[in-house]
Amino acid sequence: MRGFGDLESVIMHMVWDHACPVTVRELFDELRHERPIAYTTVMSTMDNLHRKGWLAREKDGKAYRYTATASREEYSARLMREALDGGGDTEAVLSHFVAQMGGAESEVLRTVVSRLTRGRPR
Amino acid sequence: MSAALVFGYTLAVAWLVPVLLSRLTRHGVSARLGLGAWLTAMASVLASAAAAVALLAGAAIAGLPRLAEAVCRSVAGRACTPVVYRSAVFEVPLGVAAIAAMLTAAVLAWRYGRAMQRAGRRTRAHAEAARITGRRLPVDGSAGRTVTGEWGGGATVVLDAPQPAAYCVPGRPAAIVLTSGALAVLDRDQLGAVLAHERAHLAGRHHLLISLSRGLAASFPGVPVFTRGPAEVARLAELCADDAAARRTGRPALVAALLAMGTGAAVPAPALAVTSGAVSARVHRLIDPPRRGRHARYGLALAAVMLLLTSVSGLVIAFAGPLAAGLG
Repeated sequence: MRGFGDLESVIMHMVWDHACPVTVRELFDELRHERPIAYTTVMSTMDNLHRKGWLAREKDGKAYRYTATASREEYSARLMREALDGGGDTEAVLSHFVAQMGGAESEVLRTVVSRLTRGRPR
Repeated sequence: MSAALVFGYTLAVAWLVPVLLSRLTRHGVSARLGLGAWLTAMASVLASAAAAVALLAGAAIAGLPRLAEAVCRSVAGRACTPVVYRSAVFEVPLGVAAIAAMLTAAVLAWRYGRAMQRAGRRTRAHAEAARITGRRLPVDGSAGRTVTGEWGGGATVVLDAPQPAAYCVPGRPAAIVLTSGALAVLDRDQLGAVLAHERAHLAGRHHLLISLSRGLAASFPGVPVFTRGPAEVARLAELCADDAAARRTGRPALVAALLAMGTGAAVPAPALAVTSGAVSARVHRLIDPPRRGRHARYGLALAAVMLLLTSVSGLVIAFAGPLAAGLG
């Protein structure tokens, strides 16, 4: 795996998969089995995620315990909302594969396709 | 006289060429040339309008000294020397007008820049959130054709969401976002078609073309070439991406993908339920592609329009520049 952004994603998914708040040490121990990585890298990445608002933390003895500020589902839903009916600014920069169709158009489409693919073998 | 000619040419291009281009690009034959022709039309209207304004200003300035001198003599009598009338009646208003024009242009440019910046920030935030929240689409090289989530510009991520959706977010790095709902309704070839379509958008910088034409439409309301531009550019960009995808994975896979993604929406979306017919048009075009001869004819016509626009606008600028400067 490569890139800094990628590690952020991996760590967030690990935090989401944990039921209870986690420490840097716990995640580091898990990550170490998958890839060569330094403790400080994990720590600074989690610090970044905290700064950007993805992780909340509270002091537990000498270490911080981290939790996600919102669930994976909430983030996904938020992104989909922004992508599908965001309008305004974001509309200008997201190119969708298809616009969502109503029932009438999809019905017409199905008929057209079945007729044409039957009529002309390729 | 020459200013009026250039002005007439500008108006003709701004009002008549959209009608012609709508006709030539309606069926999406040679979408790429069509897109180029629309962009050329917009650029040439901008350029020749600038030339017309420069000529007009040049003509106005050329006539001003005599007028100014006459006014000055009638007011000041013998005390009117060239220095006096020039600065009082000629240079001061001109300076004020120039400053006002520059301020207006600066404000417009600043506003446009701010809007673009805001959109860019939101896009980057969206891309980052998608990269963190989504899972990487695994590289799948089994069974012949390779479908890969990685490409030169960025990553493909999958979001957990029931509705089938696929879109691309420009930026560095760019991201292609798929939903798990989309993966559920697409087979490998269809997924390849969707990814090829989105990559074509990113590679062609279609988002830039669309937001640029939107900016022009907002700046020049009521001018057909600009008001109709954004929708046409968006539509033709879509067709260009379709063509790129069809070249890569074949038409059947792309048509199947369009159908699956377009009709597989199990989640009711009342706000978007109005049918535009855009998807049917795309499917029709792929199922029933234009004959070779028709393709050549439309391509030739579009190329001729582009050539004519660029050469005439080029000539106009080449002549207007020195003319305006010389008279001024």
